[in-house]
Amino acid sequence: MKVIAILIIVLTGALLISGVEDMPDWGDPNSPANSHVSPKYIQEALEKTATPNMVTAVLGDYRGYDTMGETAVIFTAGIGCILMLRKKRKGEGD
Amino acid sequence: MLEYIVSKYNFWVYVILLLIGLYAMVGKKNLVKKLIGMNIFQSAVILFYVSIGVKKGGATVPIFLGDAHAAHGHGHAIINVASYINPLPHVLMLTAIVVSIATTGVALAVLILIFRRYKTLELDEIMKIRKDTGV
Repeated sequence: MKVIAILIIVLTGALLISGVEDMPDWGDPNSPANSHVSPKYIQEALEKTATPNMVTAVLGDYRGYDTMGETAVIFTAGIGCILMLRKKRKGEGD
Repeated sequence: MLEYIVSKYNFWVYVILLLIGLYAMVGKKNLVKKLIGMNIFQSAVILFYVSIGVKKGGATVPIFLGDAHAAHGHGHAIINVASYINPLPHVLMLTAIVVSIATTGVALAVLILIFRRYKTLELDEIMKIRKDTGV
């Protein structure tokens, strides 16, 4: 058990560390993540959604369907917890 | 070699954190420790994403500075992209935090059910009971 776990850790770690050198530098303003779509959000969010907070604008406006699906996830988790933890009535089985 | 490590030290920290979580998930026998390992794993991924959105050189949090109503009324406010950090990873990780809370809650509920049936949370003891009783 422990040997298999350590083997998995070493393999995964080697894979991840080999990928580190391809990542952009810390705080690089021209990295791919900062230069593709996010400048558009920063420049247009206030004009198009009238929301000063860009995170809120993207969460509620640009990606509104994503947030709606997220509420579905929360609802499902809550219903699941209630169904698992409720007190069983008599004669309802285990 | 040391310079190479220091130049991208944030990713090394996330790799180490992720491996700690993975080891707890795979190597530990207690189910609660496995769950804690999953949470550490998720924290590593969340920190990784948030660090991608960082911009050096005077960028602040992604909230518009100044008079928002005036800028909106006049239409074309000139917004410098370099003065705000990337809002997109923050949005995605907000969603990821919510999902991680949901999975943790459901997992704890399942653990309570397991404890009610087997009176233990050690995986090897549970497997032994299952083998002995055939349930």
